[in-house]
Amino acid sequence: MKLLVDVGESLRIAVGAVTANKARGALTTLGIIIGIVAVTMTLAASNGMQQSFRQAAGSIGADVIYVSRMPWVTINDFFTFRNRPNISLYEAEKMVEAFTGAAIVNPTIFGRQPLKYRSEVLQDVAIVGTSEKMPLISGQVPEDGRFLMPFDVRFKKNVAIIGKDIAENLFPAADPLNKTINIGPYRYQVIGVMEKQGGNSFGGPNLDLQVFIPITSFVKSFGGRRNTNVNIAVKADSIAAMKNLEFEIIGEMRRIRKLRPAEDDNFSINKLDSLMGAFNSVFGAVLGIGLLVTSISLIVGGIGVMNIMFVSVTERTREIGIRKAIGARRRSILMQFLFESALICVLGGILGICLSILLTYVVNATGAFTASLSPGIMLSAVIVSALVGIVAGLVPAYKGAKFAPIDALRYE
Amino acid sequence: MDASSEKEVVLKLRNIVRTYEMGSELIHALCGVSLDICRNEYVAIMGPSGSGKSTLMNIIGCLDIPTSGDYSLAGEMVADKNESELADIRNRLIGFVFQTFNLLPRANILHNVELPLIYGGVPKAERRDLAEQALERVGLKDRLTHRPNELSGGQCQRVAIARALVLNPSIILADEPTGNLDSKTGNDIMGMLDDLHADGQTVILVTHEDDIAAHAKRVLRLRDGEIESDVTKDERSIPDAIAV
Ligand SMILES: Nc1ncnc2c1ncn2[C@@H]1O[C@H](COP(=O)(O)OP(=O)(O)OP(=O)(O)O)[C@@H](O)[C@H]1O
Ligand SMILES: [Mg+2]
Repeated sequence: MKLLVDVGESLRIAVGAVTANKARGALTTLGIIIGIVAVTMTLAASNGMQQSFRQAAGSIGADVIYVSRMPWVTINDFFTFRNRPNISLYEAEKMVEAFTGAAIVNPTIFGRQPLKYRSEVLQDVAIVGTSEKMPLISGQVPEDGRFLMPFDVRFKKNVAIIGKDIAENLFPAADPLNKTINIGPYRYQVIGVMEKQGGNSFGGPNLDLQVFIPITSFVKSFGGRRNTNVNIAVKADSIAAMKNLEFEIIGEMRRIRKLRPAEDDNFSINKLDSLMGAFNSVFGAVLGIGLLVTSISLIVGGIGVMNIMFVSVTERTREIGIRKAIGARRRSILMQFLFESALICVLGGILGICLSILLTYVVNATGAFTASLSPGIMLSAVIVSALVGIVAGLVPAYKGAKFAPIDALRYE
Repeated sequence: MDASSEKEVVLKLRNIVRTYEMGSELIHALCGVSLDICRNEYVAIMGPSGSGKSTLMNIIGCLDIPTSGDYSLAGEMVADKNESELADIRNRLIGFVFQTFNLLPRANILHNVELPLIYGGVPKAERRDLAEQALERVGLKDRLTHRPNELSGGQCQRVAIARALVLNPSIILADEPTGNLDSKTGNDIMGMLDDLHADGQTVILVTHEDDIAAHAKRVLRLRDGEIESDVTKDERSIPDAIAV
């Protein structure tokens, strides 16, 4: 009870003190505002980047396991993977066979070729050799025409489905369907145009600048044995089934490659999970450094508050004496000043958040990068500013609290 | 009131010494003061400037700590207490009235009087009642929301008295309570202290003026940090009491 009454009075004094010195408080708060803006904007920017990454990574599919020659994320042992064999189309077809009826398996090969339609040329376009199962894995479907059919793959047809941006660039006026284009030196017939995918803010591949052709045709046109490297996507029924599926895939691949038990896998299993993990750890380090740097400005702001609190304590020495003479304990005086500095800083924090909200809008409007303020960020900004206030107020408040009552009363 | 009953000693000082160090020089503000004061006594402390009156009052009020000597207040040895226990004693047992009032300038009168209750942990609802009652006793019930700078000196001192008595302490200490007031206002304030004494309070005050000291029943004279004389006015007070 006593403590509660004490807290109430301390809060009341703190509010009184801050409102009595508005101009001084405002100047002091400026340092905290700048510090909080710096920190929240760092967090908002990183939050925005993370969101963009998730969006971009979303097309990979959380329930899909990819079998590839290389791991997506290599830290430093690149050389152990260098001598691995490519995954051949033959091996991929074996995998399709093995999982028929159990899981959807889709092999793909990536390459880059120039694209040409009459006088329009696009250099260095991403060509994806794939099968009719691709839409089941990535969710991408054509908006016009059709996607690949089993017989396209089986009979190595020269047909292509083009991304939305390619359609717009290569066929500014005409309807692309059934037109014949050149992929490298080879002639392919356009049978479909994919839906716009968008969502490319992270600087990842532009999914609308791709051309899909049958994987068999890809190998026929562009694949020597050496540059044919297939990625195999296997879609699990559910996230929960992934662990088992992964074991089965590894087992099947080893069987196809006739690996002896003592031999290591000479292929890699990749998942969105591992990519996210790698992203998060790199990202965490970058964010950590950013926060370290920006928090320096917050510390400088805190030093300003400490300075003002020393002034406030000195100004109110006599008041401290009066309060102590009628029964205030050290604790009460300590709280009074701690609340005052915490209040100054929280006010600064709130103003800083308001400013950050504004800045976020501006940044996003310019489109330079995406920033995103979450309620969590705002809440932690308030908590951090309160902590800065308490830390900054500690030494001055302690100085005030330990005045001998009689000395404080005599102070002029 | 009832002089016939056994008197209870509230305040016992033994050989109190207080020295100040000023650089290499030692100033002996009190040099061995011994003194008993009983419940419901009315004591005036007099003496020339610099004789140690304020120093003694501050020690009695637990605002200052003697260099040596024993002091017990309401049966408790003050020397054994730590900071927050001393704060508690000041809060519960002592009501201080200063020459310069020492009110909080930014707080209104009601809040000034509530302050000891706040530090005593009295809940809000009770607090207001008690503070209003105390202000009523000093005749300022209609000024609750005024601030000290809107009041006259006499009114400020009355607020200070209300603040001193609001927690019903064991002793009221007044260091030259009329020192900053004209004689008429001063008399009002003394009348108030007289009333408190009549109601059973123990009152100790410091003054330079004989007619102020005349209000007290016992006059203590200090000189150079020692008690020079200690006179209780038996002739006037005891016969009245015995006549009952
Ligand atoms: N904080 C201090 N530091 C040094 N010396 C002090 C201090 N306080 C009081 N003194 C000295 O102690 C002596 C007693 O002072 P005190 O204030 O008790 O006198 P007083 O009787 O109240 O005088 P007055 O009537 O002028 O108020 C004086 O010599 C004074 O100079
Ligand atoms: Mg004095």
